[in-house]
Amino acid sequence: MTDLQLRSRHRTDRVAADETPFRIHMRRLRSNIGNAFYELRKSRTASIGAILIACLMVIVVFGQSLATHDPIKSNYRDRTAPPSAEHIMGTDKFGRDIYSRVIIGGQRTILISMAAVAFGLAIGIPVGICSGFYGGRFDSIIMRVTDGFLAFPGLLLYLLIVTVAREWKLYGFWNDAILVFALGLAFWPEVARLARGTALVEAKKEYVEAAQVMGERSFLIAMGQILPNCVSPLIVNATVRLGYMILIIAALSYLGLGTPPPTPDWGSDLRAAQDHLESHPMIAVFPGLAICFSVLAFNLFGDGLRDILDPRLAER
Amino acid sequence: MLIYTINRLLQLIPVVFVLTVVVFGFVHALPGDLIDAMGGTESIDDPEVRAALEKELGLDQPIVVQYWLWLEKVVQGDFGNSLITRRPVATELLERIPATAYLAVVGIGLSLLIAIPLGTIAAVRRNSITDYTAQITSLIGISIPEFWFAILSILVFSLYFNLLPSSGYVGPGEDFGLSIWYLILPAVAIGFRQAAYTTRLTRSSMLDEIGKDYVITHRSLGLSERKVIYKYTLRNALIPTITISGLQFANLLGGTVVLETIFSWPGIGLTIYQAIQLRDYPVIQAGILFLGFMVVIINLLVDLLYRVLNPRVGTGT
Repeated sequence: MTDLQLRSRHRTDRVAADETPFRIHMRRLRSNIGNAFYELRKSRTASIGAILIACLMVIVVFGQSLATHDPIKSNYRDRTAPPSAEHIMGTDKFGRDIYSRVIIGGQRTILISMAAVAFGLAIGIPVGICSGFYGGRFDSIIMRVTDGFLAFPGLLLYLLIVTVAREWKLYGFWNDAILVFALGLAFWPEVARLARGTALVEAKKEYVEAAQVMGERSFLIAMGQILPNCVSPLIVNATVRLGYMILIIAALSYLGLGTPPPTPDWGSDLRAAQDHLESHPMIAVFPGLAICFSVLAFNLFGDGLRDILDPRLAER
Repeated sequence: MLIYTINRLLQLIPVVFVLTVVVFGFVHALPGDLIDAMGGTESIDDPEVRAALEKELGLDQPIVVQYWLWLEKVVQGDFGNSLITRRPVATELLERIPATAYLAVVGIGLSLLIAIPLGTIAAVRRNSITDYTAQITSLIGISIPEFWFAILSILVFSLYFNLLPSSGYVGPGEDFGLSIWYLILPAVAIGFRQAAYTTRLTRSSMLDEIGKDYVITHRSLGLSERKVIYKYTLRNALIPTITISGLQFANLLGGTVVLETIFSWPGIGLTIYQAIQLRDYPVIQAGILFLGFMVVIINLLVDLLYRVLNPRVGTGT
């Protein structure tokens, strides 16, 4: 451990006598965030990924202000215009500003994938930890169920759910909600397996035994003691999964199963651009680049994070 | 090994159960009832016809019985008739299998052909320019959506340079040369992601192996570096690589839906896509069940192969 790290760790423990619990808490929080930044700087991959993700978050938060035009409003005088000062990425076949569509579409896509990851984690973590901690019949049932879900390769489970959603004529918010449900449903088995694997190892350690001896309830041990020690692989997995979900959302809307037009969407915009590939190839470039950029951001960050959290791997 | 195989086979039962329940439930989750769904765009209003159909389809039975009846038929390969072509679904799918298999096998073969050498070189020359290039390329590779890659490759190779056909399929049995011609773009599009994954995997498992004691022993015996790397280390590093590639094969099958659609490749994926467009539910059901089942079988084979290649892995379940 380097000096700086030691110092930063000790700093949290130096508590003056007159400090209130709140101030102590805030100080710890600050120093934890400081530590996180310090650790982050150690991996170049993670730093680049973090910067790219920060850009994406700016788009998510300030998307409406960043968009220069109404993404849905057609303008037939300006159809398929090349990039210019007015339209920095040009316009599509309806004269809509591609830049604004990429920004607003991205906002939606990223929010959906974040919600889906949160949903998957919310189901997968408790199920996986309990499965690993309690074992027995509960464990084997859960593991067989996850096996079943994992047997749906790639898009197929989403295809089924989204097709059903289409038949129920769900639009707008509910359509997005179904997408979140479908993506989360396919994600939780993976989370559960990962959490279970780590929980199995952790459950045998002494601190769990100590907690048991102290008479703590087993559910509290699972959630309060074991969970914090399983977090690192889960964070890495969730980060990489965010990127993957963006890919899936784009693929689904590319197949015409996402949000119906004219809602801006990277996948369906690409599909529309394909019809004019020969005459106006640039229309197909920007939504694709946007997908690459965001997926790359999460992949880079996930890779870097894995190296930071598991230094053994970084030496590879 | 025998016990492991039997155990592994028993584990398949719940997997197939979940798979079939989801696929069966799919049709029942649709709005309206099955008869409306079967009618497609035409609505069936006559109550007598409805009652007769309900009886024929077993819809008057409880849902569990319906599931069982459906499963019985599926096991016999009877998925019902397509709502559009009125032909048996099984026949339609069987016709499409060769195209998907051809694309998938060539795609994964291509990816291994690129990824294993690239990953090995990257590991051997760790932290060199080659290594960084391989790492960055593979990271970008896993971040590019397949369909965008496909669109761009059509744009460059078919539209600008007019080198390769942008879509279509010729069976390898009909005209082998021509079939390769049509295969190049789809196979590259499906293989490049796998190649990116496999490169990363080969690199990290090579690095794992290179650090092991037996490599030092071989080096100290005075064996040439080439022999140490390619004869001993690579062979061990390939065990996890091949295993995970096998599992990736499953994902690749799922990806065929998008790529076959772009390249009008007449495989299972395109069939599923068209069925979704036309609301041909029996075909969607059968297609997804078929691909899911293939994945289960491939995973089983890969697991068994892994045990054979690496007998040190305990035989516990």
